[in-house]
Amino acid sequence: MSEHLLEALSLFLTFQNVAILFLGVLIGAIVGAIPGMTTPMGVALALPFTFTMQPVTGILLLLGIYKGGLYGGSITAILIKAPGTPAASCTVLDGYPLTRKGEARKALDIALYASCFADFVSNLSLILLAGLLAGFALKFGPPEFFTLIVFSLTIIAGVSGRNLVKGMASAALGLLFATIGLDMVYGTNRFIFDNWNLMGGLSFIPVLIGLFALPEIIHYFAQKLSAVRETTTVSGTGAGMADFRRCFKSILRGSLIGVVLGAIPGIGGAPSAFLSYSEARRTSPNSRNFGKGELEGVAAAEAGNNGVAGATMIPLLALGVPGDVITAVILGAFMIHGLRPGPVMFVDNLPMIYALFIGIMLSSAYLLVIGKFSIRAISRISEVPNRILYPVVLVFCLFGSFAINHSMFDVLMMVLMGCVGYVMMLLRFPAPPFLIAFILGPLLEDNFRQSMILSEGGLGILVRSGICWFFWALTLLSLVLLVRSRKRNIPLSG
Amino acid sequence: MIRARLTGVGVALLGLLIFTVLIPLGIDQPGNVEHTALAPDFWPQIIAGAMMVLGALLAIRPGPDDDDDEDGGEDSGRWLHRLPGLAAALGTLFGFYALIPSLGMVVPGAALIFVLMAFGGERRWLLAAAVAAGVPLLLYAFFVHVAGIPIPLGVFETLRG
Repeated sequence: MSEHLLEALSLFLTFQNVAILFLGVLIGAIVGAIPGMTTPMGVALALPFTFTMQPVTGILLLLGIYKGGLYGGSITAILIKAPGTPAASCTVLDGYPLTRKGEARKALDIALYASCFADFVSNLSLILLAGLLAGFALKFGPPEFFTLIVFSLTIIAGVSGRNLVKGMASAALGLLFATIGLDMVYGTNRFIFDNWNLMGGLSFIPVLIGLFALPEIIHYFAQKLSAVRETTTVSGTGAGMADFRRCFKSILRGSLIGVVLGAIPGIGGAPSAFLSYSEARRTSPNSRNFGKGELEGVAAAEAGNNGVAGATMIPLLALGVPGDVITAVILGAFMIHGLRPGPVMFVDNLPMIYALFIGIMLSSAYLLVIGKFSIRAISRISEVPNRILYPVVLVFCLFGSFAINHSMFDVLMMVLMGCVGYVMMLLRFPAPPFLIAFILGPLLEDNFRQSMILSEGGLGILVRSGICWFFWALTLLSLVLLVRSRKRNIPLSG
Repeated sequence: MIRARLTGVGVALLGLLIFTVLIPLGIDQPGNVEHTALAPDFWPQIIAGAMMVLGALLAIRPGPDDDDDEDGGEDSGRWLHRLPGLAAALGTLFGFYALIPSLGMVVPGAALIFVLMAFGGERRWLLAAAVAAGVPLLLYAFFVHVAGIPIPLGVFETLRG
């Protein structure tokens, strides 16, 4: 063991490795912060540069981008209500209201602290629990996924504002939009209407940006002729130790949720962020402030989002199974260098695995340093007057939407979703339920239908295992608690 | 209250429209569906049904709303005043989209920023021009030269270096 560790240290401790990891985290943070530039895109773009590098160096670069990207997505979510990644969309719920209240720096700080802490916990679990968690993750089949997503959807009740029925109607619309595209089982058209651009379904990022950032901008310019009131916020002061302590429970819980969900192939950061947020909202003494600018909400969302970072490496390294698109690209990098992740690698290339673990741990520290140094400057964005900021953000979003698939259709989709979001805003339909349903909808439907295929139409499969029962019980408990708390505070219809 | 009830009726009608028109027209049904739950229109039908029920609930008992006027809640009289501004904002946005095939994204992007800044009340024309020209050019340089994404230039395609 100790000789492997020494060998790993000598393998890792080169200037090139230490510097390239820093560069990777920096690039990732920038890429994640640009709407339209996704983390998988950043990792894929960097892949060719790793061909000529040593295997450890190349993989560390990709891992750095991955980790930086997870945090970077929260920056624009907090400052301009345009999440850089689907996982960061949960951070919008409380991050942007905090910016509106003049507490952008505090929100960015707590997002950074939560991200780094969750990343650290996730890395630690990767190192200590890889084998155990990989075994647990393999027990998840479609019915278990389905019950997990059903449980995750209970958060809709929590982000619906005072009118639960409107929140549910908004979620129904989100679910409907998620059904657009080719049918997963039969390959037939669903709401495509001969437009081939719709065959792959609606792209996440244009929908997210259109739904969140655009209505705000349209609303601002629609107001100009009737009520000219310039609202420039200040970035405020940063978050301190007291804020971190106050949010610690939610950060820890979110980190653990991220670890467990991250170890399950195919889940990703978004459900984890929403689940963490939902749990924080359910248990927090400040639950009434959630959605209105609650620091704990930002912390919970970011912890859930970043908690998956190290854990997604568990199935990759322990079993050779990529958990998401990014780890699939990283698997490609391993294979380019003639390595095959999995149990054999733990025998044949243990020093290399340890070297990667050291690098992964260091990346959490890099994230903290890079974030801390950049936040003061980045948060000044919230002080730019809206008359300048909004047109710039708009063009940013338009370019970003195009960049996802090099598609003009995505630009149009973003504009149209902006109109949908604006109408929803006018009619006071909350947007977060739409978003949650839109993101989780395909997972819900696909896993339900896969379960039905497995059971040949029998619903009994949805209670086939202890995991299913566990999530059904959690769902029931969550609904009972939500109904009770709503009855105490406000009428159920509201 | 009347507007809230009408909203509920609207949601229910939308659900009905989806159920009776959009699903039959927009979803191709294969002939060999083994179980109802596997049919391509199974989920959309459930969702449309849910929308009808939720719309009816809203119409019968509208319930309270978040009274945060800043986020868009407003009475009908006030948003009528906003129609010219809204039309101008949307017109500029769709105008940008319509110009992309011929002029690419950079020039219409610059025009969009300048027009919206002026519309928003910015009167420092030099600053407005600098921001309008600088931001799309920077984005173009980043996406084309760093990310390798070919941002369309329209008639200026010959200028691509």
